Amino acid sequence: MPSSTDPSTDRSTDGWSQALQDTRHLVAFRARTVRRPRAAVAGVVVVLLFTAAFALGPTTLDVAAIGSPALERAVDNLRGNLGAAFVVFLLLAISAAMGSGGGRELMSRSESAIHPISPVTEHLGALVLAPLNLGWLVQLWGLLAVTALVTSSDRLLGAHLVVLAWVLAATAVGQAVGWAVEGVRRTPHGVVVVRFVSGAVVVALAGLHLAGVLIPLVRSLPTTWLAETMQTPRWPVAVLVLLAVAVAAVLLGARPAGWALGQPAREELRVQSGVHEARHVPEPRWGSPDRALLRRLDRGSVWRSVGMRRGLLVLGLGPGLIALVAGLQWSSVMLLPGLTASGAALLFGVNAWCLDGKGMVWRETLPVSDADVFDVRALVVAECMAAVSGITIVLALLRNGLPPLVTGVTVATCWVVVLVQVLAIVMTWSMRSPYAVDLSSPRATPAPHGAMAGYAGKLSLVTTLTGMFFTGVTALPWAWAPPLLALPFLVWSILKLRRARRRWLTPAERARVVLTVAAV
Amino acid sequence: MHKRQLGENGPVSQPPVPAVVVRDLHVRFGDVEAVSGVDLSAHSGQATALLGRNGAGKSTTMKVLAGVVPPTAGDVTVAGHDAATDALGVKRVVGYCPDVGGLVPRATPWEHLQLSARLRRMDVWEERGRDLLERFELGDVAHRVVGGFSHGMSRRLSVVLAALHEPSVLLLDEPFDGVDPLGVEATLEVVADARARGACVLLSTHLRDLALEACGTAIVLRGGNRVAAMAAADLTGEAYRALLD
Repeated sequence: MPSSTDPSTDRSTDGWSQALQDTRHLVAFRARTVRRPRAAVAGVVVVLLFTAAFALGPTTLDVAAIGSPALERAVDNLRGNLGAAFVVFLLLAISAAMGSGGGRELMSRSESAIHPISPVTEHLGALVLAPLNLGWLVQLWGLLAVTALVTSSDRLLGAHLVVLAWVLAATAVGQAVGWAVEGVRRTPHGVVVVRFVSGAVVVALAGLHLAGVLIPLVRSLPTTWLAETMQTPRWPVAVLVLLAVAVAAVLLGARPAGWALGQPAREELRVQSGVHEARHVPEPRWGSPDRALLRRLDRGSVWRSVGMRRGLLVLGLGPGLIALVAGLQWSSVMLLPGLTASGAALLFGVNAWCLDGKGMVWRETLPVSDADVFDVRALVVAECMAAVSGITIVLALLRNGLPPLVTGVTVATCWVVVLVQVLAIVMTWSMRSPYAVDLSSPRATPAPHGAMAGYAGKLSLVTTLTGMFFTGVTALPWAWAPPLLALPFLVWSILKLRRARRRWLTPAERARVVLTVAAV
Repeated sequence: MHKRQLGENGPVSQPPVPAVVVRDLHVRFGDVEAVSGVDLSAHSGQATALLGRNGAGKSTTMKVLAGVVPPTAGDVTVAGHDAATDALGVKRVVGYCPDVGGLVPRATPWEHLQLSARLRRMDVWEERGRDLLERFELGDVAHRVVGGFSHGMSRRLSVVLAALHEPSVLLLDEPFDGVDPLGVEATLEVVADARARGACVLLSTHLRDLALEACGTAIVLRGGNRVAAMAAADLTGEAYRALLD
């Protein structure tokens, strides 16, 4: 009798048909378990409205009528780089699939263990969930907006269809590559191989950029043909080619998915059976030893998780390397700490109490002040965010050198503001909407996928707007202005954080969080 | 040396003030009333079994006694501490083995013990910790992350954590669930030791035979209410079944 993980069963049409049915059932199950269906529907409507706005809004801009040479140059530049933007989307799809251990899961591993869910179903589920990623949506909106800006109105429909076909194809290819990488990672020395190859790719790209050949190389890729063809009457050819690629990638992606999921998750198993020798009780220079011990336990819960460790490293090094290699201006660097801090918060901070899992009930029986527990957890969330965003700033400093005084003060102020903002927001969410999740798998997320998409959107919006505000502040001539202007932001966020803390200190509220997170 | 028999509440005379007093306890979670008017008392030096079907309110009552869930209404006193107003005091005197999980997934058993001992101001605990781990056959995994533990290993470690600080009130919620015979034996020894040093033991379980072996008194809950309190020896299979229906 074939097992559910036997790839041979997936070769037949029946296997795909069953997998499609199973995926439909799983999606319906997840949809029924959404806690706030109205909010979910509102979220979908907002996404569709944004998509329509980005796809059509720029057509109202008549560049020729404005007559600005700078604007015309900018539009020409966007037109020339549209092919490169397609490549960036593909890289994002690949990195998202790699970062989530092959792809997101419709049902957590512990929940799905009792069901005959095939690797094809897992593969299709990951594809369905791929758009629930703010990076994916932002890139889609960006492509639609640039296409609308550089394409004449009579060719716009065809060009947009090409963009959508590319998004489908790139997502499917990215998913297939993600599964393949996860398969390699699960081989005996796979982790080392993946790390080495990833590092080599990053170094190679950085070398090509520094040598000045990266842009010409990217422009020579077939995506440039795609960007040109989509604005001609031959656009149906591009759509057909891309749809064929998408279908092939979906079908072929099931193979590496079956291979990856058929192997033991060595890194997770190694971490789950990891040995950590006893250490003395910490004797901190400041603060109480109780809090130091709680902090050590919480830090261990973060760094002993494969997903969180991997995520923090990628967030710490990725944007920083871009700043280092690409030589971003300080105005652009200003936006990065908020985005990387948001990314770190999305690893666990949005559901901060889930670090303890079912151990939350035992933690709650310990005779320690409830305020200490909250403060330590908030501190550990803040540490993670400060670490990854701090690396970005340090690498930008290495590339750009010391900024002018006002710019330096503004960057530092903006960094502090976004850290406190994100901390206040995620601790509020952790109290308001706790979830029981098992973060042992890198494919797991600290909240359901729809909620995660909403969280990512809100955090990115808030931190980007804050970053843009402080970018404007650099135009002021006074170094004391940024800290002064930061005060309202800080006061607002600290009050929000204090409200979340007060909520935690209420026994009934705390019990609700504890019992929800521990799923008892 | 006289060794007390399991289940025998022994020569300790009934003290005037029970260690655990619950009067008209109500616990609500939203629209659901998990416990509706439970009354019970348990004395030091005695082991009391809390029996009942799934959803009878046993685990919720235990969580209230452990200071994890505040009572919605009613009076709950644990070793002189009011659970509604002095949860921290309750936590200091109680050792609690929760019914499910109860372990931080990415910490080791030794780190669990260290934290529990440190927060209870125990200066000398390592030897007792090692001894308990050995008794529950967890000595060789003392420094391994508990995320990879089997269910039975996790249950045994939860009992160790509850017993480490020799609490004056020991709360064991389903301690035998999925535990092998050696683990059951070690748990029964922990119960006997606790009674012998004068602690109050409350043990919640579905397993009547083990409850009778460990405890001298039995309280049966049904639908969030107490329906019987009797000497454990009087709780025959037929009587128990009649109380459950």
